[in-house]
Order: sequence, then C-alpha cells, then structure tokens
Amino acid sequence: MNFSSSETRGNESAVEVQDLSVRFGDFYAVNRISFTVHSGEIFGFLGANGAGKTTTIRVLCGLLRPTEGYVRVAGVSFDHGEQAVKSKVGYMSQKFTLYDDLTVEENLSFTASLRKMDTATYVRQRQELFDFISFDRPLNTIVRDLPGGTKQHVSLAAALLHDPEIIFLDEPTAGVTPASRSRFWSLIRKLAERNKTVFVTTHYMDEAEQCDRIALMREGKILALDTPDGLKRSAFPMPMLEFDPKESLSFADISKMSRHEVFLFFEPYGLRFHASVRSEEEWEKVRPFFEKTFNIRRITPSLEDVFIHTVEGKVP
Amino acid sequence: MSSFVWRRAAAVSRKEVFHILRDPYTLGAALVLPVFMVIMFGVAIEFNVKNVALAVCDSDQTQSSRRLLDTFGSSEYFLIHRVVSPHEAVTDVSAERARAALIIPPRFEKDLFAGRAAEVQMLVDGSDNSTVGPVLGYVGSIQSIASQRIAGFERPAPYELRTRFLFNPELNSRWFVIPGLTVVVMSILSILLTALTVAREWENGSMELLLSTPVEPLEIVVGKLSPYGVLGVIAVTFVYVIARTVFGIPFAGNIAVFGLGCLLFLVTYLAQGLLISVMTRKQTIAMQLAMMSGMLPSNLLSGFIFPIESMPKFFQYFTMILPARWFMRIARDTFLEGSSFFELGGSFLALSIFCVLMILVATRRFKRDLEP
Repeated sequence: MNFSSSETRGNESAVEVQDLSVRFGDFYAVNRISFTVHSGEIFGFLGANGAGKTTTIRVLCGLLRPTEGYVRVAGVSFDHGEQAVKSKVGYMSQKFTLYDDLTVEENLSFTASLRKMDTATYVRQRQELFDFISFDRPLNTIVRDLPGGTKQHVSLAAALLHDPEIIFLDEPTAGVTPASRSRFWSLIRKLAERNKTVFVTTHYMDEAEQCDRIALMREGKILALDTPDGLKRSAFPMPMLEFDPKESLSFADISKMSRHEVFLFFEPYGLRFHASVRSEEEWEKVRPFFEKTFNIRRITPSLEDVFIHTVEGKVP
Repeated sequence: MSSFVWRRAAAVSRKEVFHILRDPYTLGAALVLPVFMVIMFGVAIEFNVKNVALAVCDSDQTQSSRRLLDTFGSSEYFLIHRVVSPHEAVTDVSAERARAALIIPPRFEKDLFAGRAAEVQMLVDGSDNSTVGPVLGYVGSIQSIASQRIAGFERPAPYELRTRFLFNPELNSRWFVIPGLTVVVMSILSILLTALTVAREWENGSMELLLSTPVEPLEIVVGKLSPYGVLGVIAVTFVYVIARTVFGIPFAGNIAVFGLGCLLFLVTYLAQGLLISVMTRKQTIAMQLAMMSGMLPSNLLSGFIFPIESMPKFFQYFTMILPARWFMRIARDTFLEGSSFFELGGSFLALSIFCVLMILVATRRFKRDLEP
C-alpha cells in the first residue's frame, strides 16, 4: 500500500455529515444526524440492529441517495449518490464478502478489473496486502475452503486493493471466532497507524472500546459521540459501584433495592450488579445497610454500562 | 457520469464464466439438456401411429371380404387379429386389446354384386384422441384402395383426389418437432439461467459490493448476460447439428435468416430473464416466474406441439404477444419450407418489436433499481 500520500492530508476531516436524513416511505432510517470523522481515526458506530448504522454507511459509500443533508467524503461533496467517491473509499459489507465458488486470486483480480487497475499495480498491491494480513495460502484456493477468519482478512484485502483513503467496515467480525476478531482488530489498528481512516460498525462492546471515537445510535439518531472514556465520564459523572451478593437474592429483594432513591441506576451485570449513586454523602449514609448483603467495590464503568444507560435509556 | 468501459464488462463476464464452470448443474443444463431433449423428442415421441391393433370379425368370409382385409393387413398401419363375433370385437376394444375393430357383415359380397352399397362397420377407441385422427386418415386411404381392388377397374371413380404433402412429403413428425425444439431449448437456457444468475447477486448481497466499485449498471448487464448468450448459441448449434446429422432433417432455408431469428429470440429472452430477476430478487421466485412466463408458453402456446390454428380464438390472439410463437414460425419455416427473410417479414417484425421493448423495459428497471 502506498501510505505516504496520507501525510499530505494533514488533519483535514475524512468524513463530514450535516443534517443527514434517509427516509424510506414514512420511516426515517436516519434522522438528521451530523458528525465529523478525522483523518486517520478509528471511528465506531455502535447501536442495535436497525439503528441506522448500515444506512449511513451506504450513503457515505455513494450507494444510497440521502433524502436530505450534506455529505462530504474524502474531499468529494454530494447530496446524491456519487461515482467519484467510490474510487476513494473501500467498503466491506456485513452481508457479502467474497464469491465462495471463486479462488482468492479470481476474487481479487475481479475487484481490480472493476476498479480499472493495471496488472503491475494490482500484483504489487496484492503482495503488500498479503504481507499485511499474513496470508500464506496458495492463490488458487477456493474461497469456500478458507477458514472464516482468513476469509474475513482476504475480504479486507479486497476492500483495500485500490488503496482507499477511507475504509468502511460494516460489522466486519460478525460470525467469526473471538480469536479471529482480535486478529482482525489488530489489522484495523495497523491501518490507523498508517493514517488510514477506518469507519467501523459493531455491536461488540470490546470492539467499540478500541475505537478512537464512538457514535451511539438509536432509531436513526446519534445519542452521544465521544471517546470511550469521554462517554463513560459523561454518562457516569458519579462513581460506579459493583455489588457482589453474599448469598442468593430473591427477585423481590433486588427490585426493592434497585428502586432505592440513592441510585441513579442499578442494573444486573452477570451474577453481580452495577450501580451509580446520586452523591457521595448520601451513599455514605446508606452504605452499611447494603454492605450486609453485598461485597461492594468501586469500578470504572464499562462501555456496556454506557450503552445500556444511554441507548436503552434505562434510567429514571 | 456514465461511461461504458468494456474492460469492466469483460471482468464481469469472466467472473460469470468461472461461476458457470464451477457449477456442474448450469453447465449440464446448457450442454446436456439440448442433446437429451432432441434425442428424447426425436426417438420417443412419434406422432405417426403405426401397428394399431385391429380386431376383425369377418362374418362374410368371401373373396371380396378377404380382399378388403388384405388391404388393411398389407398397410403397415394395422396389426390384425381375428375374432369370431361382433360382440368379441367390441370387448377387445373396451379391454384395450385392440384400438379399433372392423366388422364385416354376412351380406357384404352379395350387396356388392347386387350393386347395393355394402356396409362395413369400423369401431375406433375414442378415448385416446391422439390416435383417432391418424387411424381415420389411414382408413380413408385404405378404403379408396380397397374399393378399386374389389371392384376391379370396371367402374372408375368419377374423380380422383390425389394428395401430396408439401415440405414434409412423408409427414414425418420429427421434421416437424425437432426444428421447434430450438425454441424450447433456448427458452430454458436464456430465460431461466439469466433470471437465476442476476437474482443470486441480489440474494447474497454481492450486487451491493459490485456497486460500491465504479462499475456501471449497463456493464453489469452486458457482462453477466453475454456468457449465457454464448451458451444459448452453443445449445442451438447442438440442436441444429443433431437434427441434421442424427435425424437427417433437411434444412431448406438460409442459415443466416435462421441465425438472425435465433439471436433476436435469445436477446429478447435474456432481457426478460433480467427483468424477472430485478423484479423478484429471489432465486426461488425468479425460477418460478421464468417457468411461467418463458418456458410454459414456449412449450404449450408457441405451436410447438399444439397447433395455434386449433386453439380457441382468444388464445390464437393471445399467442401473438409471445416471442416464442414468432420464433417457432421462423425456425420451422426456415428448416422445412426454406422461407426467405421477406416471407417471414411479419414474424421478424414482431420478434424485433418484442426484443427492443424487452431490452428497454429491463435495462430501465435495472438501472432504476441500482442507481442510488
């Protein structure tokens, strides 16, 4: 890959979205969202299915015409689908990656031809990408015979073949093993180190944690956008506590305690409970009472807490 | 913004060829099916009825009645077995031991010599429509021969009807069926395979990935359809070669006229397959629609087996909107009658209209679906 050109981009924004809406009939899949993605950043979209993540990506890749709003991707501005942007971005869809009945080489050379790459450039790029993803199988391996994780890597290589400035990954790790997921994420970090902009959607919290910034989406809207730490701080200004029950508790007990007025929220977390309190003083007053039933310790909130708090809105 | 790039279309074609080569079913359908169908239709299906079992009850037992029976027996159409009573003859027909029965009454020769009209009864099993027509035809011609033989040449008939069949003098049903098979084979290959291949790209989501590259919709269409066009041409060539060599069917017309008809029909059906796949986007539904709109009409309503002239009026007009009907005319007439392009002008005009119309509708719909 030719990573040198990225230096000239400086700190210009890779993606700029203002008041973007996408409407299907009466349904707003995306409802007036605005955000900016910086060059060389790993930008995450976190949200449930149907939150509008894929729709947004499809607009940014020039696959879908926005109903309203202004979009600027890799220096190309458009308010409708745009061919010019397609040569500057790479896209890896969640639904389809590679043709199963074709070989690795056939898949890649097909992509190269569609992008009008000459043979020399294609072969050079292919080799660099194979080094990048550590692919060492024969080129004529049928894709069907590749392990799921390797297929994902080759698919990433296909999306990177034309050396795009921005790469859009729509749930790239859906359905692969945890080990493959972590290998894939080390590739994503390597891309960012080389100053590629990575735009990724996911619903894995541990993946979201690795993004530079995350947008939390629900029902076509961005509810919050910040670094993982920033999100945690703004969602939980008060300290987080973990409650570990000393003995098993009945539902009635739990629901009674969770409604105690000292808590901002009180949610189950595995066999334990995560909670946040309104103020330190109030907490100190009732603490001995809770310590009879629980081992209590202070924790830093996880992104999952933030997600439940912000996206699912389970807060009084 | 839109600019057609041959290299991208070629890349799509190349990929499609790999798909075809890796899929034994597609390849089998394209190469084995035409051969199989021609051989099946050529060997197994015989509209000419031969060796019809005929139960004969000859109650007269005279020279005249034996002459009549000889005439039946010496034609190769009937296999005669004798029964003793008219009742037994009827039983044989109803028990399906015989397709027809011939009953000669006792006074047959006496009536003949007395100059009265001698009566002979013929019973034909009407439950099988396909044999009735030919059997009656044979009976008619045998009757005229027998009358002459029995009566000698003393009383020549006041007029003689001499029938000669043009273009297919022996009324060989293969000559009639196999040229029509080009229509059936092509309709299966073009419409069905096209509908499936484009629907598959929608179904597995790869269409979206194609569109994330700068490829143009028209490049996808041309790239994806051309391999199937080539398959169609290969299949028709198979049918043609087998028809000429294995079954010895003459080709009286101009091969270029026939080829032009093939191409027009092929492109029309490829476009129809494309339209179906864009409309359905699912392989299973696309397949059913392709069967309904492409294969069934070309089998049943094109005149392939059932003559259009004997259909109800409504269907006679209805078949006019089927490209298969017009191509069927072109295929048969170029094969057997040697019709020229101008003699087939009407059919070519109709086929061209469908072709242009279908391409317009299909590509417009396809582009509208793809463009963001």
